[in-house]
Amino acid sequence: MKKATKDNLKRQGAGLLTASPFLLPSLAGMVIFSLLPLLISGMISLTDWNGLDKLTDPDFFQKHFIGLDNFRAILTSKEFWNALGNTAEYIVLYIPSMLAASLLVAYLLSRPRRGIGFFRVIYYIPVLTSWVAASLIWKSVLAPQYGALNGILGFFGIEGPGWLLDEHWAMPAIVLVSVWKDAGFFGLILLSGIVGINKTYYEAASIDGAGGWTKFLKITLPLLTPSIFYVLIVGMINSFQLFPQIMIMTGGGPNGATQVMVERIYNYGFRYYRMGYAAAFSWILFAIIMVFTAIQMKGQERWVHYDD
Amino acid sequence: MTTKKKRNTICFYGVAIVLAVIAMIPFLWMISTSFKSRGALMSIPIEWIPEEPTLDAYIKVFSKFPFAKTIGNSLFISVSYTIITLLSSSMAAFAFAKLRFPGNSLLLRCYLATMMIPTQVTMIPLFVIMNKMGLISSYASVIMPSVFRPFAVFMLVQQMRTIPNDFLDAARIDGANVFQIFGKVALPLCVPSLATLSITTFMESWNDYLWPLLMLTDKDKMTLPIALSTLNGQYATEYNVLMAGSLISMIPIILIYIIAQRQFKDGMMAGGIKG
Amino acid sequence: MKIRKLFSLIAFVLALALVFSACGGAQTPAQTDPPQTQAQDTPTETEAPPAEAEPVTITYCNFNSSGGNEETLAKMVAAFEAEYPNIKIEVETIGYDDYFTQMQTRVAGGTAPDCYELNIENFAAYANKGLLAEITGVDVSGLNDTALNAFNVDGKQYGLPESFSNVVLIYNKDLFDQAGVDYPTDDWTQADLQNAAEKIRALGDDIYGIWQPITYNEFFKVVAQYGGALLNEDKTAFTINSPENLEAAQTLIDRVLVSNVQPNAVQQGGMGDWDMFMSGRLGMIPTGIWAFQTFTDGCDFAWDIAVEPGSTQKATHFFSNCVVMNPETEHPQEVATWLAWLASSTASADIRLEAGWDLPALKDLDALSSYLEITPPDNREAVFESLNYLVLPPVIEDYALMSDIITQKLAAAADGTITAQEALDQAQAECEAQIDLG
Repeated sequence: MKKATKDNLKRQGAGLLTASPFLLPSLAGMVIFSLLPLLISGMISLTDWNGLDKLTDPDFFQKHFIGLDNFRAILTSKEFWNALGNTAEYIVLYIPSMLAASLLVAYLLSRPRRGIGFFRVIYYIPVLTSWVAASLIWKSVLAPQYGALNGILGFFGIEGPGWLLDEHWAMPAIVLVSVWKDAGFFGLILLSGIVGINKTYYEAASIDGAGGWTKFLKITLPLLTPSIFYVLIVGMINSFQLFPQIMIMTGGGPNGATQVMVERIYNYGFRYYRMGYAAAFSWILFAIIMVFTAIQMKGQERWVHYDD
Repeated sequence: MTTKKKRNTICFYGVAIVLAVIAMIPFLWMISTSFKSRGALMSIPIEWIPEEPTLDAYIKVFSKFPFAKTIGNSLFISVSYTIITLLSSSMAAFAFAKLRFPGNSLLLRCYLATMMIPTQVTMIPLFVIMNKMGLISSYASVIMPSVFRPFAVFMLVQQMRTIPNDFLDAARIDGANVFQIFGKVALPLCVPSLATLSITTFMESWNDYLWPLLMLTDKDKMTLPIALSTLNGQYATEYNVLMAGSLISMIPIILIYIIAQRQFKDGMMAGGIKG
Repeated sequence: MKIRKLFSLIAFVLALALVFSACGGAQTPAQTDPPQTQAQDTPTETEAPPAEAEPVTITYCNFNSSGGNEETLAKMVAAFEAEYPNIKIEVETIGYDDYFTQMQTRVAGGTAPDCYELNIENFAAYANKGLLAEITGVDVSGLNDTALNAFNVDGKQYGLPESFSNVVLIYNKDLFDQAGVDYPTDDWTQADLQNAAEKIRALGDDIYGIWQPITYNEFFKVVAQYGGALLNEDKTAFTINSPENLEAAQTLIDRVLVSNVQPNAVQQGGMGDWDMFMSGRLGMIPTGIWAFQTFTDGCDFAWDIAVEPGSTQKATHFFSNCVVMNPETEHPQEVATWLAWLASSTASADIRLEAGWDLPALKDLDALSSYLEITPPDNREAVFESLNYLVLPPVIEDYALMSDIITQKLAAAADGTITAQEALDQAQAECEAQIDLG
């Protein structure tokens, strides 16, 4: 028993030696650019810092320390739960529609058709379009009376809602615009997953006489699960950090219906000068995202197929 | 059989074209706006074809900033950023996906966790750290963070995990060391993902705005997004100039995209999914 | 299994420590820096007094010249440097949207520029936290008193009003003619405005009498027109739900919900307020004088301006940006000289007026005479007439928070979700709960 452990340790030590040159650059970066600032922001969350007084002040911490007051205040505020609820609504609507849209995009773009290179560029254009331009146009498309969307709905005899101006429809409208913007990005990632699939699988299936659709369901989808998993995780993290589209399209309105976590964090930190409160808010958000990602990580064993 | 094929083709192009139109609408508006004069910016219904098209906005973009210098700065930063990201992330991903070392999965989880940090509150601490390291107003302050890109590492880990271990073992038996296995076996098998990553990384760095704004206070080091942001005023924004500038700044990304997506062709043939 | 986990944890901590120590190593020279510089400083001080001829460079960061006036500012700097050859100004211009985020980061990080620009909303936050230096030793008597007072905290002048804009009532003459109503005059009241608005509204389904944002910024002014205020006189308590304020809120909201002379959000259809006016569908719009150029280009009908109507009294808006000094600057005297020149010299005012870039906040209106010659609008004097009725926004430390709370409640009242009374009561309660006026 003891000997086995010793051997084990030795082997693992050797493994670490092999791995360290590969890991070192990014590990150093992680400490300096990510962990250290995170640690400092953790300390800030225990203070009443206004975000303006000098952070480098030697007795900064003694001067501003207030314990867990920020966390208590946030968790008992109505606003936090409202923002969390709105974020949840966004995720529930966004994730499935984004996944469907980017799968469709990736599927279309993986077909060996004439002019596919052209479509590949076109579908990526929304990713490149600036939020400023996109929001100006989408606002006019989503305008209640003269907007294009309600015009089309009206053609089918449906009376469209006020979209961004309507408490119930503002978030779905934000989701719609986000899916439009992101489908090209995630579609591209799924596409690179599809083209990375080993061709021998398809050849074997062709010999067995499988058709295109069967091949997609039986080969492409299962082998694409690592990429899909990536898209899900990243999509979810991005959703929790939803921000620019909110700021530029609704500013959190109407009546707080699109107030989300990061929008609150930004406002508290940089508009209301309550950086301690904002830091605590973001640590709570951090914890929530961790829990959800951990759940997805655990769940992946059931459906993600790796080749090893 | 042939009618079925025809129907498939029509279906395919029908869906593809509808999606293309939806994708393009704001882009077309950007183009049209960039040819408008200041007075005719936003009108409802939208004026798609400018009544009196003018090149004013483009002339203004080129005369307003030292354009060549600004583009040069942006290119230098984004290219370095992308190369470092690809190198550092693929190395880390290889270690996570294919090497056994203690704490592998724990460390990977730490990487993932850092993706979840909202950057709004780590900005000031990071600024202070950069200041302490004496990096403010240097290109390094903007390029260096590329050594640690958890999104890229995660994506490549996902890709490398699909490489069969047999491939690597075969190389090892042939006498290759671990660096050769990484460079000659693992990396070539990740080309589609690396191509995607180079597009997305380049784009992110090219469009990055707030961090360079904080770091590059020296006017000579100004990047394109910083230059364009000065078109946004307290009471008014020069949208036509802004759109002209944004369009110009999209060109390099589109070029890189076109080059990088060629890498998919081989893969697609290999995939050989026929309709 | 447990041992493996433990080992991996140790390995991780070790790796962390390694990099930390590397960081520490990098920091050590920085810590030994101060004595070194001191050592260098002492000899120079004893050797000779600093040579006066050597030019001093100061950094000035601003947002106001973004969006089209960078060249104007460059002209001003050139004129200043010609007048004061021993001072060089390094200008940094940053877009408005992210200006305050970056400035806050630089202030907190201890790398703020020598002097910079702030708007009135953010001024109090900086001044009350002791982040600004008092500007002394320069003559600022030429500046408008109201504007100057806005940036005076406890008798100390922390900022100089560098430019300002005010708000007037802009109206569509053609619609007034069609409705057969007399044009607004300077002694109009809210009742006259309501009357005219109703007649113009009757012209067509798609034509509205007025558009006035029902937000905090508009509200604190209209409240003053009804003799109310958001804070008591010494700014120690909120008075948001006072009877005067309620009357003001009710007037604004009824124009949307009752008489509908002002379009609601759906009727407005996502169109911007200026665009609505320029499309000829609005009779009146109280808005900033920075709209003149856009309206001159964009309106194919006759328009003019008047002083905003009052109620029990007149009250008009002004928006002012100020320039402030970083207390850590090494050249306070040169910075003060530049800031005073920028804000109050006739040379700077002339360049500013010639470019049509805001108004300089000068007491002496004769210096602004060239401004009056430009038409439209014909009644440009109303811009100066309005200056007699300026109200200051209630500048408190938590300005942005207060304004967001009030705007949100007013918006809810304007779409009919809650009554005006409820909106003000809730805003009062929330402001009291979240803001310490201490």
